[in-house]
Amino acid sequence: MSHVGVPLSGNTGMNPHFFLLGGTVTAERLSWIEECLKFYFVKINPSNLLHHTKGQDDVFTFLLTGEALYSLHNPAIVRIWEILLALPSVTILCDRQELMLRGISIEGLKMKNPDQVIDHNRLGISGKPSFWNDVARIARQHEQPVPSTIGYLLLSSPYMHRSSLAAVQCLNAALEAHASVELYAYLDGIHCGHTGQKPTEFENIGEGLEEISEKAARRGLSCQMIACNRCATARGYSTWDDGQGQVISACTIRPFRIRNMNEIIERFAKNHLILGEDIASIQIKKGAQESSFPLQESGRVPPLTIFISRTPYGTETAFGGLSLAVACAAQGIPTRVIFIEDGVYVIAGTHVVEENSRIFNLQEIIDATAGSSNLQFFIFIPSLHQRGIAKNPKMTAVLDIGVPELGQLLFSPHEETQAGHQRILFF
Amino acid sequence: MEKNEETIPDFSNLTCTNLMIRLKMILKKTHPDDAVEFYVRRDQRDTIEVPFSRSGYNVKIQKADSDRYRISLKKKPGKEEG
Repeated sequence: MSHVGVPLSGNTGMNPHFFLLGGTVTAERLSWIEECLKFYFVKINPSNLLHHTKGQDDVFTFLLTGEALYSLHNPAIVRIWEILLALPSVTILCDRQELMLRGISIEGLKMKNPDQVIDHNRLGISGKPSFWNDVARIARQHEQPVPSTIGYLLLSSPYMHRSSLAAVQCLNAALEAHASVELYAYLDGIHCGHTGQKPTEFENIGEGLEEISEKAARRGLSCQMIACNRCATARGYSTWDDGQGQVISACTIRPFRIRNMNEIIERFAKNHLILGEDIASIQIKKGAQESSFPLQESGRVPPLTIFISRTPYGTETAFGGLSLAVACAAQGIPTRVIFIEDGVYVIAGTHVVEENSRIFNLQEIIDATAGSSNLQFFIFIPSLHQRGIAKNPKMTAVLDIGVPELGQLLFSPHEETQAGHQRILFF
Repeated sequence: MEKNEETIPDFSNLTCTNLMIRLKMILKKTHPDDAVEFYVRRDQRDTIEVPFSRSGYNVKIQKADSDRYRISLKKKPGKEEG
């Protein structure tokens, strides 16, 4: 089972646009992605449609693992995949182990698109094939700074969510690719760092993270695992706080450091790739000449787009995305928040929070932070229509967008950015 | 800083991001001629001082205790928030 190459642009230093999807891929999500890619090929890069310049830099790679693989099995969603595969330079790379675990066959799609649907994974140093070796290879090539770093934003708890295992596998593969690694534990991702984990029917995530830290040290690579102070304190991890950002916990594994959110944002201000359960990276074409010191320049901070795709209040997810966006913008990172899919409920109706309640009214947060430097809010109108709901007319700070505008936001570079890629995170 | 001590909120239990969000929400509802006062920790003071000074607010800081600061934010005349 040798590796079948992902069509990267090899030694040119250019990288493909890619989506790394591990959560459920609905027909709705894949449809708007498909519409945006059509927009890209028709409006932004029509030459690719005419000449099918495969193997060059305008390649879209879909890296599918976990629950996202079921989208290759669902006939309604497979139809959308087939439309995507008919576009130039679109490739799907599957996590074979996770396909086999779920008993999902993709033979039909593979037979129709043999060069574009790949389910054989790259061999690692251990001699075993792993999807994450392919992901690390793509991430490692990003802008090729030396030393290279790969980050992972972890939002889910272990054992309830298999995605915590993906984080461990991803960081292990990154080390094998000789990259330094960084883990950012946020929301329920905090629980992955609890000490004394003893699962009997699942890989031990806590031990896995400790082994990553030790392996990095042995290889002379850097390893940072930073947990958000707000999330850790809420969950009972912060047992001593010196009031100056230093928090010590009696119940976290050794490599975990609980720190002010700003310390995580400082890492976001570097230009390495940040992976996660559902993320994307969109290459930004460079007009100006490249710098020899890409890590040091403030203009090269990758802009951030956060898709808020979940309903508010039922989980911390929507608030977590919004809070991260506000924090990033305050630290100078150009940040866009797009309310899409069920995330449009954040902007629908008038939310009323009781006066003495401790929870934030998300609409008030948006209203209060709109107009801040580096922060923009958008709502995807087709998601509203699909749900038969209307936008709260008072939320004027949130701009209405459709497919063309979403395509522009994703594929047209932010003004004045010198960054090589745009980070996209799904909440 | 003429307000009654007891009516001044203590935000020292908020994280820096949530403090910033909370302050923006309060400032939005406050008349531009009025000052917003509150107590914070030292690390929170550092987070507030520069961003709010840059975005059109006069920031007054008074040390109340070793790790407790009384802050006053008031919009600079004729300034829009950046």
